[in-house]
Amino acid sequence: MANSHASATLDRSFVAVAHPLRRTILERLADGELTVGEATHDFPVSKPAISKHLKVLEEAGAIVRVIDGRTHRLRLNGSSLEEAYAWLARQRALWERKLDVVEEYLSEQKQQHGNDTPQTPGTERSA
Amino acid sequence: MSDVDVDTGTVRVERTFEAPAEAVFDAWTNPEVLRRWWKAAENHEVAVADVDLRVGGGYRLAMRNTDSGDDLVVFGTYREISRPDRLVYSWVWEGTGPYAGHESEVAVTFAEEAPGRTTVTIEHAGLLDQTSRENHASGWVGVLDSLERSGAAASR
Repeated sequence: MANSHASATLDRSFVAVAHPLRRTILERLADGELTVGEATHDFPVSKPAISKHLKVLEEAGAIVRVIDGRTHRLRLNGSSLEEAYAWLARQRALWERKLDVVEEYLSEQKQQHGNDTPQTPGTERSA
Repeated sequence: MSDVDVDTGTVRVERTFEAPAEAVFDAWTNPEVLRRWWKAAENHEVAVADVDLRVGGGYRLAMRNTDSGDDLVVFGTYREISRPDRLVYSWVWEGTGPYAGHESEVAVTFAEEAPGRTTVTIEHAGLLDQTSRENHASGWVGVLDSLERSGAAASR
C-alpha cells in the first residue's frame, strides 16, 4: 500500500515537471509567493492553457493557490518551509523575552539608584 | 528587513533602552538576568547560568520543564567581546530537538545613539542547517531538478 501511494506521488511529480512552463512556474515561486499574472505574464500561451498547467501543479501538490478577493496568489507547497518559519519564530520570541527581562532589570537598577541619589529625579522615568 | 529570514536562517530583533551602553551590556551578560530569562516560562525551574565572559570562554544555560521533565539546555563560546559595543557568541541547543547539536551564532550590538539611550540589535544567524535550508529553499524545485537531470521528465 505504501508503495503504491509513493509511486502515485512520484507519478504526479513526474507529470508536474513534464512541461517547461510548469518548471518555470515552480522556479519562479521558489523565490516567494506570486500572483498568477506575475508568475505567468510572459508565457506565449492562452489563459486557458495557463489554467491547465496550474491545475496540474495543484493536483500534484506542488503549489497552493491562495484566493484573496479577485487576486489569486500561488506559492510552493513546502511543509518544511513552514516548519522552518515556526522554528525561527520561536527563536525570535526567545530573544524578545530576553529583551523584556533586560528592560525589567535595568528599570529596577534605575529605581535603586534613584533611591540612592534623590537629587536626580528627572532620570527616574522608566521606559 | 524582515525579522525572520528563512533563506539565510537568520532572526533579527532590535530594541531601544533608556540606559547607557555599559549598563545594557552588563545586564546582557549578567548571570542573574540570564537566569531570569531562562526561567521566564511558568512551568520552568532550576535555571543554571554559568558565564565565563572572555573570548574562548563558555556559557551554559539550563532549565527544566516541570511538566515534561525535559531539560532545555543551550551552550556556547564567546567569540568577540568589546564592551560596551558588541558581543558575539556561538549558540548550540543540547538534546534531541530537530536542530540540536547544530551550531549557530549570535551577534549583539549595543549602540548608544544619544547619552543614556542605547539600541540593542540581536542577529542570530545560521539557525537552520544546510539540509533544512536546501529542503525549504528549493523544495519542489530541487526534487524536480533531479528528476529532470535523470532524464525522466525529458521523455515526456
